[in-house]
Amino acid sequence: MIRKRLPALTLAATLFSSSVALADDVSIGAVFPLSGPNASYGDVFMSGANLAAKHANEDHMLSGDLNVLYEDSQALPQHGVIAMNKLVNVEEVPYVLSAFTGVSKAISTLAQRSETVAVNGGGVGPDLAALGEYFWNVIPLANNEVGAASKYLVEELGLKRVTLIYVDDPLGAGILNELEKTLEPLGGELVEAHSITPSAQQFSGVAARVRSSNPDAVYIASYGAQQLQIVKQLRDNGVDQQIISYSAFSLPSLQALPEAKGALYTTQSIDWDSTDPVTKRFVDDYRAANGKTPTSYVANYYNAVRVFALLAKELEAQGKDVTGENLLAQRKATDKFELVGGSVSFQDNGTLLAPIQVLEVTGGAGEIKKVYAED
Amino acid sequence: MTAYILNLVVLISIYAILSTTLNFIIGYAGIFSLAHAVFFGIGAYTSAFVAMNLTPSFFVAIPIAMVLAALTSLALALPALRVRGEYFVAASLGLQMLAVTLFSEWKGFTGGIGGVIGIPPVEIFGFALVKPWHFLILTLVCLALVIAIIQRLVHTSFGRSLKSIRDSESAALAAGKNITVIKTLSVVLSSSLTALAGGLYAFYMAFINVESFMLATSVLVMAMVIIGGTGTILGPIVGAALLMLLPGALSYLSFLPQTEIGSIQQIIYGSAMVLLMIYRPGGIVSPKTRGEAA
Repeated sequence: MIRKRLPALTLAATLFSSSVALADDVSIGAVFPLSGPNASYGDVFMSGANLAAKHANEDHMLSGDLNVLYEDSQALPQHGVIAMNKLVNVEEVPYVLSAFTGVSKAISTLAQRSETVAVNGGGVGPDLAALGEYFWNVIPLANNEVGAASKYLVEELGLKRVTLIYVDDPLGAGILNELEKTLEPLGGELVEAHSITPSAQQFSGVAARVRSSNPDAVYIASYGAQQLQIVKQLRDNGVDQQIISYSAFSLPSLQALPEAKGALYTTQSIDWDSTDPVTKRFVDDYRAANGKTPTSYVANYYNAVRVFALLAKELEAQGKDVTGENLLAQRKATDKFELVGGSVSFQDNGTLLAPIQVLEVTGGAGEIKKVYAED
Repeated sequence: MTAYILNLVVLISIYAILSTTLNFIIGYAGIFSLAHAVFFGIGAYTSAFVAMNLTPSFFVAIPIAMVLAALTSLALALPALRVRGEYFVAASLGLQMLAVTLFSEWKGFTGGIGGVIGIPPVEIFGFALVKPWHFLILTLVCLALVIAIIQRLVHTSFGRSLKSIRDSESAALAAGKNITVIKTLSVVLSSSLTALAGGLYAFYMAFINVESFMLATSVLVMAMVIIGGTGTILGPIVGAALLMLLPGALSYLSFLPQTEIGSIQQIIYGSAMVLLMIYRPGGIVSPKTRGEAA
């Protein structure tokens, strides 16, 4: 009987052997959308994380090889929790990369309870800064970008009266709060704020109200295809004031939209032509492998893995275990991290502080108008 | 590993409650609803709201959630069940779409698109269920209760009336059955028990947002019932276990690229449904093995 079952047992053992890392290897996890409508994001995030692991291994930063174990969240909270549970309880990783606001929030409770560090490099909703000390953001959140936008509008362009069109979600609410907070001290004013639903596609009514309030500039806090519609319909309805937004305007389809030409937007400042060794190596190797310039998403997940490698290297040098608790303590004890984009630091809430740049939509890659240092 | 298995079993149990309650109206009353996730959501949001603003006591939060879900289902059932089959499907689809908008926009209650985070652990007689196995026991007890209630009901005259309506509404009407009342009661009961699953889900996840209560969830639960076997007690539980375990099991197949697992999962779901409808229309727990089936 046993002999009859042996081939089947062997096959089962082989199939379910999983990608178990070698004993000396160091593994971290990643909960990304690898299938479903958001799978393309997962591919982008993976390219950054894999490149960082490759560089860490080439440099022998850690005692063993660094592996990234991927689990599919399908960008859904429940799948994210199942994936996070597997990474924490089966693979026992101390550090997990996360993406998408819903998934990040859903896994943050488990991260906190299991003392596992979870790191976001994609979502920019301001509420991601309040998910506990084990949840970090290696990306400046949208509220960090708003301060730079307000300064540029008021101080550089003299545009003081601003109207906001925002999606009625935590991201939009965060930008509304930040505009209210930053414009007034600069001598500016938030004239009106129009909330829209995430699925709205008709904005002629909003455009009419914007026109009647006659602001100096219109701030758009939306994302995806909707922001294209807003820009187009504002212009079609005679709103010719300066348009400004946050990093969501980096979307290639928006950059190519004729009506968006001349609009301003802010992003994390990364100079792809920098001679800084970390940035240069990242950009050169990414271009060599993919034949194109990386995006900020690729850089963010590269940085997320690099932060782990730097912290783990330091912990190993001190003879300490690479656990979530020790990683958190080491991050708090580290003032600066040499990452892609330059030397950056974390705020107390675990969110990265980075320089913010103001760009103009030109139809190409965007023209940098001004860079504001981290504050 | 134990914690991972506990997590899966808790989620399977919660979905088994969902599929069992949906099976009650599909399998025994012949009412096809595409709004099951609505009542799941009402249960989750209400329990979360009560837990965060009043008390996380199981015996307060869950009953309030169940009553609210029952009242909402009454609002749907009373007008919609006066018509036959397909009209209820359309009405339930409308309710599902309406509810998703409400869940996304009613920020004071649902947290809007951002959802509700920081839901405290559920308490029973002042004892907070923090450890996963505490919660597993609670979930299994709830599942057993739901199964017991439904099994008891389907063997009463009420259950026989439901089956008679399912088999022939005209014959049941001719036999003097008050079809509207019987169907309405079944929907109300099913919805209130669904809210129990919603409450457990909210307490377990500690975070909920609208993405868990959309049409895809209603369809998933319906797939659990159909694949497992309609009109049986065991079928929906088997269906829930299979569909919840499948993604996790596939992720252990190291030769499958992670990027393809979601697509493979969808292909397996679709193929299983088609093959089952052809070769085993009653589901995995077939009529031959289901002693309790009508």
